[in-house]
Amino acid sequence: MRVGYLITGPQREMRNDNLYPLILKIILLSGMSAVALWAMIILIGMEEYWLVGALAAGVLCINFVFLNRRAYPFRYILPGLIFFVAMVIFPLVYTVRIAFTNFGTGHFLTKRRAIEVLEGRYYRPQDPVRYTFQAFQNEAGALRVILTTIDGDSFISDAEQLIAVDLSQVRFIDDNNDGLIDRFDGYRRLTRMEIFRNLAALERLRLSKDEYIVKMTSPAEFTRFHQRFRYDPIEEVMIDLKTGTIYRPQYGIFTSAAGERLTPGFKADIGWRHFREILHNPAISRPFFRVFYWTFLFAGLSVVTTFALGLFLALTFNDPLLGGKKFYRSILIIPWAIPGFISVLIWAGLFNTEVGIINQLIGHRIPWFQDPFLARTALILVNLWLGFPFMMTISLGALQSIPHELHEAAYVDGASPWQRFHSITFPLLMVSLAPLLVGSFAFNFNNFALVFLLTGGGPHIPGMPGAAGATDILISYTYKLAFGGGGWGIQYGLASAVSIIIALIIGTISLINFKLSGTFKEVTIDV
Amino acid sequence: MKKFITLLLSFILLVGITGTVGASVPGVLTIWADGTRAQILEPIAAEFAAAYGIQVIVHEIGFGELKPKFLIAAPAGEGPDILIGAHDWVGELTAAGLLAQIHLKPEEKELLSPVGINAFSWGGELFGFPYIMEAVALFYNRALVPVPPTTFEELITIARKLTDPEVGKYGFLWDAANFYFTFPFLSASGGYVFGVDEYGALNPRDIGLANEGAIRGGELILRLVKERIIFPGVDYGVMAGLFTAGRAAMIINGPWFISDVRAAGIDYGIAKLPTIDNNVMRPFVGVHGFMINSLSRNIVIANYFLRTYVFTKEIQLQIWRADPRIPTFLPAFLSPEVQADPDVKAIGLSAADGIPMPNIPEMGAVWAVMGAALGHIITTELSPAEALTAAVEAIKGLIRY
Amino acid sequence: MFRRSSLPRRISKHLIIWVFIALVFFPIAWIFSASLNPANTLIGQELIPPNANWDHFVNLFTNPRHPFGRWLLNSVKISGITAILTVAMGALAAYAFSRFRFRGRRTGLVTMLLVQMFPSMMAMVALFLFLQRIGGLVPWAGLNTHAGLILIYLGGALGFNAWLMKGYFDTIPRSLEESALIDGATPFQAFIWIILPLVRPILAVIAILTFIGTYGDFLLPSILLTGTEQYTFAVGLRLFIVGEFDTRWGIFAAAALLGALPIVIIFLLLQDFIVSGLTRGAVKG
Repeated sequence: MRVGYLITGPQREMRNDNLYPLILKIILLSGMSAVALWAMIILIGMEEYWLVGALAAGVLCINFVFLNRRAYPFRYILPGLIFFVAMVIFPLVYTVRIAFTNFGTGHFLTKRRAIEVLEGRYYRPQDPVRYTFQAFQNEAGALRVILTTIDGDSFISDAEQLIAVDLSQVRFIDDNNDGLIDRFDGYRRLTRMEIFRNLAALERLRLSKDEYIVKMTSPAEFTRFHQRFRYDPIEEVMIDLKTGTIYRPQYGIFTSAAGERLTPGFKADIGWRHFREILHNPAISRPFFRVFYWTFLFAGLSVVTTFALGLFLALTFNDPLLGGKKFYRSILIIPWAIPGFISVLIWAGLFNTEVGIINQLIGHRIPWFQDPFLARTALILVNLWLGFPFMMTISLGALQSIPHELHEAAYVDGASPWQRFHSITFPLLMVSLAPLLVGSFAFNFNNFALVFLLTGGGPHIPGMPGAAGATDILISYTYKLAFGGGGWGIQYGLASAVSIIIALIIGTISLINFKLSGTFKEVTIDV
Repeated sequence: MKKFITLLLSFILLVGITGTVGASVPGVLTIWADGTRAQILEPIAAEFAAAYGIQVIVHEIGFGELKPKFLIAAPAGEGPDILIGAHDWVGELTAAGLLAQIHLKPEEKELLSPVGINAFSWGGELFGFPYIMEAVALFYNRALVPVPPTTFEELITIARKLTDPEVGKYGFLWDAANFYFTFPFLSASGGYVFGVDEYGALNPRDIGLANEGAIRGGELILRLVKERIIFPGVDYGVMAGLFTAGRAAMIINGPWFISDVRAAGIDYGIAKLPTIDNNVMRPFVGVHGFMINSLSRNIVIANYFLRTYVFTKEIQLQIWRADPRIPTFLPAFLSPEVQADPDVKAIGLSAADGIPMPNIPEMGAVWAVMGAALGHIITTELSPAEALTAAVEAIKGLIRY
Repeated sequence: MFRRSSLPRRISKHLIIWVFIALVFFPIAWIFSASLNPANTLIGQELIPPNANWDHFVNLFTNPRHPFGRWLLNSVKISGITAILTVAMGALAAYAFSRFRFRGRRTGLVTMLLVQMFPSMMAMVALFLFLQRIGGLVPWAGLNTHAGLILIYLGGALGFNAWLMKGYFDTIPRSLEESALIDGATPFQAFIWIILPLVRPILAVIAILTFIGTYGDFLLPSILLTGTEQYTFAVGLRLFIVGEFDTRWGIFAAAALLGALPIVIIFLLLQDFIVSGLTRGAVKG
């Protein structure tokens, strides 16, 4: 049944002997390639070689797919695929890459930027020399400054140099004899307002004179500085010009022989260090399996409970004679429409042990968020409230894909409602809903916001190292490790390593599960 | 479907797909601030722009998102010139190389409170202009507590009388499982977060949260639980809600709460935290200030804007009127207008006893672990000594480098 | 369904539904209560707070610092475009996966599904850097642009969305297109004219899923967008509650309630498509 046209797409297309589509296609493809070429040239200028490569590969792919008949099915997939690769695969590869670096607090900058920051550090000599200044600009917009010390010595800037100058030379003209030079060599003195407008350019001036640097320190003065650090690109060391100390890069931070470190550090490769750390540090690894077990349980229970309720309501609605359906349905999706973070916080208030309405209705002080089991129960209940409208909606959609004839036939055969549901409706629903349920599982697997806002992962279990609590799922636990709970600010590298390990485990389990349950079996119904 | 698409297309035309830059551009001063600060700064920035011909753009960003966003944007060269935030970010941002050092002349330094300067210093250098500080104090409902207690024993006596959870009346509450609010209990008898090394820098290897004094503080919390004055499950939201509803007599909270209490129409007072066995409760002091991005292309302009424009008595008073917290700019703080405010005075007294919140990145581990430990004390699952000792071990396990 | 239900059955159905409506409204009543409470607390003791007033709602529309209408418009625009393009690209891919047999098909399907389970901790940083580069090339699609944000959301067109559609497409009998193909239509024509009208329910479901998902997302836009004029509803909403301690629950609750309206409206518009299968008898094969 499924051979036939399924593989004959290209031939079918050939039957279309109209030439215009082909010409149009070639024009569009060449146009696109031209734009891509233009972009590549710009990117080469920006030194973004990775992107140039990616773009070239993308364009070749598109041309190949649209010109080669054997790649016909890919013409349908390609538009989505391009975005998928750029926005999903690329971050994933980046995450893997980061897992092998120390990216995080203290190591946010690239090495190049860190060197830039360090080389941009200056110190004032023992006896700081300050200059007042006048700024000048010529027709072409070039800026020059004349600096004057408190002793009356004058200097003029010439590109990056500062040169001593005698202001009584004839080329310096003081139009109104107020003691200030107004113009020279086609340069005109800037007013105070004009100085402010050019402040950013003046600020960038680094004028060198002898062994020191003169730069702007306020809109009224320049000051003499010494450069503090210089990077030697051949030896790959940072030299402290003040003390002569040599700093070598070590795990992303310039470190002296005596162990003194220069901040900022930079992002550096540290190999498998994070992975070893995860295995060997009990503060990280001990809660891992407990959290792991609960994550699966939580995601599984969430899917089962929300689906059961959602399907129940969808079946209730699936009655042509039921009045007010449209109204009911729209009302019941409201939990889905309200931003999750407010409803979760409201639920946290309703479940509050001391003042919560739920405890007042029950008439007991139930320690919802202090007892591990109750906290987990509350989490599942709140997620049921949040999640059933989604399940109801997809079930409504899926119920429509079931051919009516099947029900009619079964009805005629005298099957009971439960028999019809059990042996016809449900199996057919699962055909189109199974992937959605898998998707819902994956969503809840990473449902950070719910856990974080409702219980914060708590209650903490006495004796557990670190901050992992009874309701922590893998992603909230990873978050705790990455942001603060890791002991040293933000640790993207460590968090990435944890997420790789999680992904490997999920991937393996899911693959085995798929193989066993046969989610990939093709289902076709031919009526 | 067609109608729907038409509808959307008209939206696109209406709004247009446009973008403005949120990052440091030469000659344009960009500031990132939270709502409170952005609101105050916008008119000030407009005045500066008019006076000096330099455009100043203030972007409002949620307080909780300022630091994470800055940490992603700034290293890529997309950060603002000025960031307004809390002093406990300084360690992390400086270690990342993202803050420009600030050189104050001695006469400029004299105008700022030493607590503020200290809070924004890291490794002996200054990395921000402090402008306000805050600390928690005792808020009390005058209708229920006419005279605030000065010792903890007094407080317990008053609270016992006023507490009846069956009718929803509470004498004394606070967010006890939150280390920020509970720290004064631990610090009163000598508990501390990080010790100080011989150079005056915080030493993350010396943790004083399970010493004798800290445990004594823990015992006091346990006593309050056992006497049924405080209850598990009371968090910040519950406490704030009960106080504004007039059902909690005394709470521990900070100046940010004042406007809500006023809106609720509660006749409130603010007092210094009471003493425990003649020892003062030392709250964390938080300082807010202006920091300059080290990769900014407008460092001179930013410095000029802050020094000669924002840090003037007139502007600081203007800021204070819009958001009454304790100014660290002394000419503003000492002005009669500020001194006459009883709330500022009470919170100022509390802050004077306080300890600046540690600004080193290791603090991250402390927040998470201590929250869990306090939870165990309140639920009486663990004794204070057990909970605090385990917490210190856990913190040490997390601080590895 | 085919069978007609009796009157008592229908009454019990109404009752069941009203029970759930009550459960739905139970927490929402408290959100509403918070939006009337001038004291900015989320956990009020009384359903009608003392000094209750509409100030927060008024403030929402009169305070120029919080262009609430603009935020809603931004969100509807971004979510709407994302939803339409996602459905378009997802349906194309789903058709190929459902109807063609080619090398890499199974692998592709499995990869799409598994990859989205990966907790991509660094996605934010990666996408930030990526968009910065794009902005260097095409300024209107870089950082702090809505177009750039939409580009990123389109990464979700494959993955679960295509999966779901593929599952639904598989339930459409092939015999329907075959007759068209024999009549000389191209597979693309068959897709447009025969398949698409039959799969409207799943298209509507995906559109709603994408719309709501995009509408409620605040992580990406809060990092990629800067400035109140550019913010989406979710980011703007967060401004009220991510204060250090001073959370403005009242105005937040008011905004959250009003912000839910576009979603309810979209659902009202699209639910006819979801149940349109009921009337599709005419095209049955």
